[in-house]
Amino acid sequence: MPRLLEIHKASKAFHSPEGGTITALDEVSLSLSSAEFLTLLGPSGCGKTTLLRAISGFEPLDRGQITIDGQEMTDRPAHRRPVNTVFQRYALFPHLTVGRNVSYALEIAGTPKAEIRTRVGEMLDLVGLAGLGQRGISQLSGGQQQRVALARALVARPKLLLLDEPLSALDKNLRRQMQLELKRLQEELQIGFVFVTHDQEEALTMSDRIAVLAQGQIQQLGTPEDLYRHPANRFTAEFLGESNLLPVALHDGAAILADGQRVPASGRGTSTLMIRPEMLGTAPVADGLTFAGTIRERFYSGTSNLLIVETQAFGMLQALLRADAPIAVPGSPVTLYAGRADLHIIPGGAT
Amino acid sequence: MLKRRKTLALLALLGAPTAFLLVFFMGPLVIMAIYSWLTPGLYGGVEWELFHLNYGRILGWANTRYDQFDPVYLTIFLRSLRLAALTVLSALVICYPAAFWISRMRPARRNLALFAITLPFFVSLIVRLFAWVLILRPTGFLNQALMGLGLIETPLEIIYTDAAVIIGMTYIFIPFMFLPLYASVEKLDPALIEASGDLGATRLQTFLRVILPATAPGIAAGAVITFIPALGNFIVPSVLGGAKVLMIGNLIEQQFLSARNWPFGAALAMLLMAGVLILLMAQLRLARAAQGEPRR
Ligand SMILES: Nc1ncnc2c1ncn2[C@@H]1O[C@H](COP(=O)(O)OP(=O)(O)OP(=O)(O)O)[C@@H](O)[C@H]1O
Ligand SMILES: [Mg+2]
Repeated sequence: MPRLLEIHKASKAFHSPEGGTITALDEVSLSLSSAEFLTLLGPSGCGKTTLLRAISGFEPLDRGQITIDGQEMTDRPAHRRPVNTVFQRYALFPHLTVGRNVSYALEIAGTPKAEIRTRVGEMLDLVGLAGLGQRGISQLSGGQQQRVALARALVARPKLLLLDEPLSALDKNLRRQMQLELKRLQEELQIGFVFVTHDQEEALTMSDRIAVLAQGQIQQLGTPEDLYRHPANRFTAEFLGESNLLPVALHDGAAILADGQRVPASGRGTSTLMIRPEMLGTAPVADGLTFAGTIRERFYSGTSNLLIVETQAFGMLQALLRADAPIAVPGSPVTLYAGRADLHIIPGGAT
Repeated sequence: MLKRRKTLALLALLGAPTAFLLVFFMGPLVIMAIYSWLTPGLYGGVEWELFHLNYGRILGWANTRYDQFDPVYLTIFLRSLRLAALTVLSALVICYPAAFWISRMRPARRNLALFAITLPFFVSLIVRLFAWVLILRPTGFLNQALMGLGLIETPLEIIYTDAAVIIGMTYIFIPFMFLPLYASVEKLDPALIEASGDLGATRLQTFLRVILPATAPGIAAGAVITFIPALGNFIVPSVLGGAKVLMIGNLIEQQFLSARNWPFGAALAMLLMAGVLILLMAQLRLARAAQGEPRR
């Protein structure tokens, strides 16, 4: 059975207005099984929108191939591709009512009137806009417009939905709520989502898998746990969550830290050891790592205490402790411990 | 007490400009409206006596020895309507694609193009129209070029025809049509066009269902703002239409300047204005209906 979406070595360069070229996509390959929630995550300008537009057919590729449901898409115009898009600024038709916006794809497809009516009704129910079909677009709140955009893109029952930073215009609370709703919708409808965001927290909570992009290349593709616990490179480690990154020398089956401590590891040369702040604690751990230092700052957040600890060998370390851990006063000495299982050596050198 | 004082201050503030507008803006109109119901004097001027045959001569009930109904006036009205409508149409056909093209240009070129469109305003209208005489007359540039290319054998008779008047009016009214059109085209979000394609629409469907309705207000505004001065125009028909293509503006001008029948000229002008107002109201109705459900 063919995968829902298959992208093979997609490349795309733009001429920049200043002269020269910008590589927006550099041999990007990925695939999506049906009903999977895949997130494209990366900093501004890394090529997320370009990849999405290549899938929807608005940006022709320079090289590479895209197949959807086993069908070659490369030369197929956007209006004949079996995908729909939720646009970043919604792009709702201002001259049409909510109902007519939602029914647009069905009208184009020549669906019978009666069926259009029932399906639009169902769609509005699904996104929580029942009864608002007669409204004008300008009479909706941002969150409601977001839902209309969603309903409009889903009404034709695409197997694959593309969403370009659909939540970025919403305020924090609404955003949280829409994240949950989007996830629920995706599971309920059992369709594939390719979701673009540059918000790492959003990516971690919503996705089945995440593709981290930088400079037009996929840095890492995996489940949220995978990416968070075992980043493949320094970029991913720094982009996803907070981390302490310590240089190590790999030698004789061990990684040797700057202060001489060692942990078992394979390989040779120099590399980077990653310790997430929440993996550092004040309770002693057998055969782990120990860091003695002085507390420089403390940030209390209700659920946790973030300590900034200055050490001799490694400079500043961040440690995220439970709020009920023994009170730590800036200026006082502290010893931090990390268990061996919580350490991760980033492959591919110290870059 | 305080409120009353505020109202008084407001009245004083707004009173003067309102009075000014009433006297100097509405005044001439009122004078013409009154004149149109007065008796024409024998040697120009008016006699202060109520007289309805000014309108009767145009609309049909005049049947006295000196004042007869003549259908030629209605014919001229109809011709003016037709020529003005064709002018609107041809200006629209030229300006609509141009507006899209220019709105997609890089800023520097776009400003240049916009400047170029308003450039003719800096040269006297009469001069520009006589330039068109040089282009369109039988020995003019157009005919010489066409004959030079071997496309025609004998010169085309364009000048002093309806076509020449339409060409001339289209030329002078292009900026009027272009600017409101451009304003609405520029506001059109390109993402809407993509969204339509994404939902399965072909280019033609996108044009008919999204682009056209979204820019309809600009089309309507451009059409109205072009149609009204085109309808009353008398310079273009007198330069490029000669004696053969008389428009309502020429007729009114003649009544005031050569025939010196001011009441009759005023009646013609009043009917022209009534026609324009009716059309404007119809357009407003249509625009409201087109906006449909979204109510404020
Ligand atoms: N039409 C274009 N012409 C020239 N350069 C372009 C064009 N579209 C995109 N680019 C460039 O390609 C690169 C990738 O752009 P893209 O829009 O895919 O980034 P993005 O990851 O979506 O960023 P953001 O998070 O800011 O939306 C950028 O450097 C951008 O400047
Ligand atoms: Mg983008």
